[in-house]
Amino acid sequence: MTQLPAPGATPAAPPPAEPLPTTTPARPRWRETLGLLARNPTAAVSATVLVLIVLVAVFDETLAPYGPNEQDPSLQLQPPSRDHPFGTDEFGRDVFSRVILGAGTSLRVGFLSVAFALVVGTLIGLVAGYYGRWVDDTLMRLMDVLFAFPAVLLAIAIVAIRGAGPANAILAIGIVYVPIFARVTRASVLGVREEVYVRASRSVGASDWRLITRHVLPNAAPPIIVQTSVSLAFAVLAEAALSFLGLGPRRPNPSWGLMLADGRGFIEQAWWYAVFPGLAIVVTVLCFNLLGDGLRDVLDPRQRTLMAGGGR
Amino acid sequence: MTAPLLEVEDLRVDLRTPRGTAHVVNGLSYTVGPGETVAVVGESGSGKSVSVLALLGLLPERTATVTGRALLQGEDLLTMAPERLRRVRGPGVGMVFQDPMTSLNPVLTVGRQLTEGLRAHGPVSKAAARARAVELLGEVGLPDPGRAVDRYPHELSGGMRQRVVIAMALANSPALLVADEATTALDVTVQAQIIDLVERLQAEQGTGVIWITHDLGVVAGIADRVLVMYGGRCVEDGTVDDVLERPVHPYTRGLLGALPDLATADDADLATIPGTPPAPTDLPAGCVFWPRCPVRGDARCETEQPPLAVVGAGGGELPHRAATWCAEGEAS
Amino acid sequence: MSVLVFSLIHMVRGDPVRLALGTRYSQETYDALRERSGLDLPLVQQYLTWAGRAVTGDLGVSFRSGDTVTSLIGERLPATLTLALAALVVALVIALPLGMLSALHPRSLIDRVATVVSQIGISVPDFWLSIMLILLFAGVLGWLPSGGYVPLTEDPLGWLQRLVLPAIAVGVVSGSVITRFVRSSMLEALGQDHVRTAQAKGVPTRQVLTWHVLRNALLPLVTVTGVQLAYLLSGVVVVEIVFSWPGLGQLAYQAVRDRDFPVLQGSVLLFALVFLVINLLVDLLYSRIDPRIARR
Repeated sequence: MTQLPAPGATPAAPPPAEPLPTTTPARPRWRETLGLLARNPTAAVSATVLVLIVLVAVFDETLAPYGPNEQDPSLQLQPPSRDHPFGTDEFGRDVFSRVILGAGTSLRVGFLSVAFALVVGTLIGLVAGYYGRWVDDTLMRLMDVLFAFPAVLLAIAIVAIRGAGPANAILAIGIVYVPIFARVTRASVLGVREEVYVRASRSVGASDWRLITRHVLPNAAPPIIVQTSVSLAFAVLAEAALSFLGLGPRRPNPSWGLMLADGRGFIEQAWWYAVFPGLAIVVTVLCFNLLGDGLRDVLDPRQRTLMAGGGR
Repeated sequence: MTAPLLEVEDLRVDLRTPRGTAHVVNGLSYTVGPGETVAVVGESGSGKSVSVLALLGLLPERTATVTGRALLQGEDLLTMAPERLRRVRGPGVGMVFQDPMTSLNPVLTVGRQLTEGLRAHGPVSKAAARARAVELLGEVGLPDPGRAVDRYPHELSGGMRQRVVIAMALANSPALLVADEATTALDVTVQAQIIDLVERLQAEQGTGVIWITHDLGVVAGIADRVLVMYGGRCVEDGTVDDVLERPVHPYTRGLLGALPDLATADDADLATIPGTPPAPTDLPAGCVFWPRCPVRGDARCETEQPPLAVVGAGGGELPHRAATWCAEGEAS
Repeated sequence: MSVLVFSLIHMVRGDPVRLALGTRYSQETYDALRERSGLDLPLVQQYLTWAGRAVTGDLGVSFRSGDTVTSLIGERLPATLTLALAALVVALVIALPLGMLSALHPRSLIDRVATVVSQIGISVPDFWLSIMLILLFAGVLGWLPSGGYVPLTEDPLGWLQRLVLPAIAVGVVSGSVITRFVRSSMLEALGQDHVRTAQAKGVPTRQVLTWHVLRNALLPLVTVTGVQLAYLLSGVVVVEIVFSWPGLGQLAYQAVRDRDFPVLQGSVLLFALVFLVINLLVDLLYSRIDPRIARR
């Protein structure tokens, strides 16, 4: 049977020369990535807002018009006014100042817990994916068990057992997100482990550590970065939930979750008390989520990251 | 000669893509008579598949712009009301798609997918539709059609699935059958069986056939006329004998040169045309084939689009036409 | 799984009994509670005893009330399941039409609105949403009670009135996640070749959408909905507290406050169990509706 040239039967280009063992794989190009992000309006706006929120958290004491526990008994539960844009609480404290001062608590717990999850999870994923076999089986089975618990519930249980407080909240939220990072990293590692340049490096005797840092990690980076942004969103949410339940920072420290818990009792008389701290949470979480979406579009078009709802 | 079954006039299809507007079909005109088989040949990306999808309004509405006329039994498919067009799909035009792996719904039984087409065009009882489905599966040569009808696509081999797809297209005894690489996946015996079936339909019901294929062996066996497409245009058409025996356009000649000589059938001798088809977003200004053309025998080749003109001795009812500036020198 | 739950109790930095009793107690009370709870035995033996009893449905006795954990959970479970299912209904009522419309008209106004709304829905803390719902519907409008619970059998209307707000609070979050999923899953199904095949047969559009798009998009949706139902439970925990809904979440929360470890241990185990059962059911359901798995 005679055939016309089949699709793609035009003279094929010579197979691309195998990269020399010393060449590193294409790393994510940071400048290009930033450029693409800047052209994605939602991602750009949310990144800007996040930078602002971080700045507010850093310079909170300078920015806050009142101290966190500066009370004015004559101004209890006052509605928003020029002096107190978000109103005052039952002790006559300025809600606006306390929302500003609460940003630090939320972000600190959020960043530190995600950092914990990132480091531990990535290490576990690297080890599991890189060494394979029983190491992989054991570690990933453990991750599955951990992953099987509803996130907030697991965090509540951990904090409940270890006692309330920011340090335990960080640990609890961190542990909850370890499996997600482990899975994402492992998947990326499995993807690149058999690539030509990794095998080539190995054949010339590169050490495991060198292979991991030079070849495997750069390739695994994009989905991990996306996951970091999305996890930050949920870490801030989880922190708020723990604080709300009285399992985070103690009173009278300013914390969004705590303010919500207290404001809830005055919801009929003073709507502003519970509304503004909640809005602060929503804006922060929304920005991390939108940034995560933008990063995903730019860095990870094949959607290797777990679904956004994976942690909730 | 009776009135043509299908009359396509100046069909143009533009697709909006992220890289700009792709001019996929650029002024295609042809006719298909009752009982006639027109083979459309050309490389991938020449616009063959898109040109037939456009006829049935199966291109994505948001990105595709289709202009021209396509009269099926005197009615223009391109301006038809959606509900009328739906009624034409099936009994008017039956279509066989190329990929048997993805053209069937994996979660419905073969029978369900066959009867669905039957019942969409008139009141047919479930039992009658099922009986007809079994009959159709038998006609396309599926072994044990009584059992195959209750199977899911993943339980059938690729060749069997392709025959199911063909059976679906034939279910409503279409006036026009469009087969897009319908038999490419099948082995020679089954291929012959399908071709027999189609030829019988043509004889019995006067079905017109558009047969899109890479396979010149099939073209020689089945077609009355051949239409060679390149860059979204018809570059040469005519009777099978004219086009295959006396090709005029350098592209057609290239394709035929690409045939291994039957006497010395050796894959190493299989000539291919150097280069790749033009990107539909960026068509050349002159002759579409110019960038790859080994002849380039005329000053106008690079700048001016050659019209489709009658070449050689013919005229008459089935003229041999080609769109090239280099015809005279080659044909004489 | 049970090892994990059990080890939770032993991650505690103190003696659970001492913590439970507070600061004023006699040595006799301490010893009695310790012995009653089996906490004077070695760890492994404690675990085996606990696990052995747990299998038979005996999860121990509450430090606080003296009731058995099983009976406490049994009292609360129906309320929690009711709320979770109601929330799931809310989630699907939001997600299915919104996700489908978005997928059918990508980049249209409705698609953009749905994208923004679901993105916000994912970012809203459910307990804050609860407070806002109370503020609006109980406070400003005065249409619905701000919380509490009456049994369905006593006052069906009151039961429904008290169910609506918490169900919305929990359902909106899951609904947002599912909306995004329905959209992407529908878009993928719409792009399949077999949809074009069906159209080419002249099958009416509605039938094509039902049988060739929706039917196929539903398959992955079942999994996601199952997972969401499980995650919904953790939302329920917090929302129950805001609405004084007498479910497992409140029980667990109360146990946390009172350091009532047998109860906490039992409720966490139960949540984990429900989680497992849901996942199992999803797998079973999936194999029933996907012939590619069912026939193998």
